[in-house]
Amino acid sequence: MNSKSKIKNYFIPVLAIFTLLPLLTFAAELRVEIKNREISVGEQFKVDVVLNAKGEELNAIEGSILFPDNLISLKEIRDGNSIINFWIERPKITNERKIDFSGIIPGGYKEANGFLFSAIFVAKSEGQGIIEFRNFRALKNDGLGTSASLAASSFQFLVSKQVPVSQIPTSEIKDSDPPEKFGSEIASDPTLFDGKWFLVFATQDKGSGIDHYEVRENFWGGFVIAKSPYILQNQNVDKKIYVKATDKAGNERIEAFYPVHYRPWYQNYRIIAILMIVAVIVGVILKKFNGKNR
Amino acid sequence: MKNILQNFLYLLLFVVLFVFVSSGLSYATSVNVSADVQNLCGNGTVNSGEQCDGSALGGGSCTGQGYAGGTLSCNSNCTFNTSACTSGGGGGGGGGGGGYVAPATGVILSGRAYPKSTITVLKDAQIAATTVADANANFSMSVTGISSGNYIFSVYSEDSKGIRSSLLTFPVSVSSGATTNIGGIFIAPTIAVDKSEVKRGDNIAIFGQSAPSGEITIAVSSGEEFFGKTAADPNGAYLYNFDTTQLDMGQHFTKSKAAKEGAISSFSKAISFLVGTKNIVAAPPAKCPAKADINSDCKVNLVDFSIAAYWYKRTISAEFAVKEKEWLNGDGKVDLVDFSIMAFYWTG
Repeated sequence: MNSKSKIKNYFIPVLAIFTLLPLLTFAAELRVEIKNREISVGEQFKVDVVLNAKGEELNAIEGSILFPDNLISLKEIRDGNSIINFWIERPKITNERKIDFSGIIPGGYKEANGFLFSAIFVAKSEGQGIIEFRNFRALKNDGLGTSASLAASSFQFLVSKQVPVSQIPTSEIKDSDPPEKFGSEIASDPTLFDGKWFLVFATQDKGSGIDHYEVRENFWGGFVIAKSPYILQNQNVDKKIYVKATDKAGNERIEAFYPVHYRPWYQNYRIIAILMIVAVIVGVILKKFNGKNR
Repeated sequence: MKNILQNFLYLLLFVVLFVFVSSGLSYATSVNVSADVQNLCGNGTVNSGEQCDGSALGGGSCTGQGYAGGTLSCNSNCTFNTSACTSGGGGGGGGGGGGYVAPATGVILSGRAYPKSTITVLKDAQIAATTVADANANFSMSVTGISSGNYIFSVYSEDSKGIRSSLLTFPVSVSSGATTNIGGIFIAPTIAVDKSEVKRGDNIAIFGQSAPSGEITIAVSSGEEFFGKTAADPNGAYLYNFDTTQLDMGQHFTKSKAAKEGAISSFSKAISFLVGTKNIVAAPPAKCPAKADINSDCKVNLVDFSIAAYWYKRTISAEFAVKEKEWLNGDGKVDLVDFSIMAFYWTG
């Protein structure tokens, strides 16, 4: 080997290491965590998506996860116990092989093990695959939305019939707690829904994660599946509103909210008028009865 | 048969009249319903979503909030005020027996803010409790009724002029049946300047509020960073006159932090000023968030988030474009940058 090629052979890796070192050392990191790299065909396995902020205060993150849909299929996404307080785009599968997510952490997060969400996959055929991040970015908590350095590590795995099935069940959710208590606000804004009144709500579930919300706009009506912001059917906003949050284990929490023009039934003109009419009618009938009896 | 019907009608009349009279009395005493009121806080009754209301504590007590004793009261926003609760300790002795009472799952946060300032705790970015600091700026408050799991708690305070501090955030892992104590919180000082533009060579006054008699460090960033120190007075107010001779012309930022009895706060949010050729008096410090308050209610919360989220990845309307320019980054679209700005100015 001549000296030129020696220099080339050593110089380039050394240069690459020194170039990438600051990024590897100081950049925040997005990674996936999994118990086994080798998975049996038919086995379910859980992939945790974790943010290591490395001391940098980050308050917004987005990205996509790509996975080989010829080897594995997505069964479920769990976001209970996530550091993300509000999802702009809740982790969801956007096509056969991509999960998109984006969310914020008001006040910022700078710790090492920030759990974002888990994806439960099922291995369906043999082969070697990779789960990788795409279009990811995190923003600093600086009031300007400055981009932070963010590195992402991909994850290689092997699906094989030779691998024994893991004894650790991944799909079991032991969650008996209802979602967290929550507040709600009724608002209207000229730039949204033609200025109609809408309801906003959000809570978290520390166990299995929120499955869905339902809204009931008066005492007698039924609950309907709803998403925040929810346009109120009753634009008079004078009836009590109930919001039900249900987690993925089926635990429920119902909160009641008093809208802008809420009046209890005894302050409702219509009910008072009906009562008066009924009283008059009953009085007249009784008078007639008494007259006949005499 | 006629008698039965007659008795039934009498009974019906009696019931209707009773309901009518009682409702009429209730109505007569509470006819003032404001269109702006979003909830029933202030009606003296503990309604859903309220911890208390006026003197009605809904059966709440200091012990129920995880304290040893003291007097629980109610804040104006219908949340418990635990500032007069005591953390126990002290002597006493003896006694014995008794059954086991499982401790509540909760978090107690304590530390320093500004004298008599209002402190707000956010649990996962939503308001969970507020309290008022004592004259020495100490505060303690608890958040109960939560599950085991990972939470992000944030704390901020408002100084005597109504200026908010930056959010101080703590990821906390809560265990079931245990009370997690987060002590030693030291809320960063508030900060303001007397001039938006200062003539180079003149002084600029940097002031704000922190813990009483705390040592305040002022940082002014230019090409290099300059530091100065001053002491807060017994009310926590501080003032530092910075000589701008050493600064280049152009925009500069200043921030402050406080130290007291070995504890050091984080830096306040940075505010800017211009070094130029003339002095321009700064506008009084804003009490409302400078950005992200899309519905202009002096709060940055779920409502603003929901409005912005509606326009995420959509072409924004001409009407919303005006708000986007005023409150977000003004690039004509709603993306992650706008939500990052919102997360920074978040008030809950």
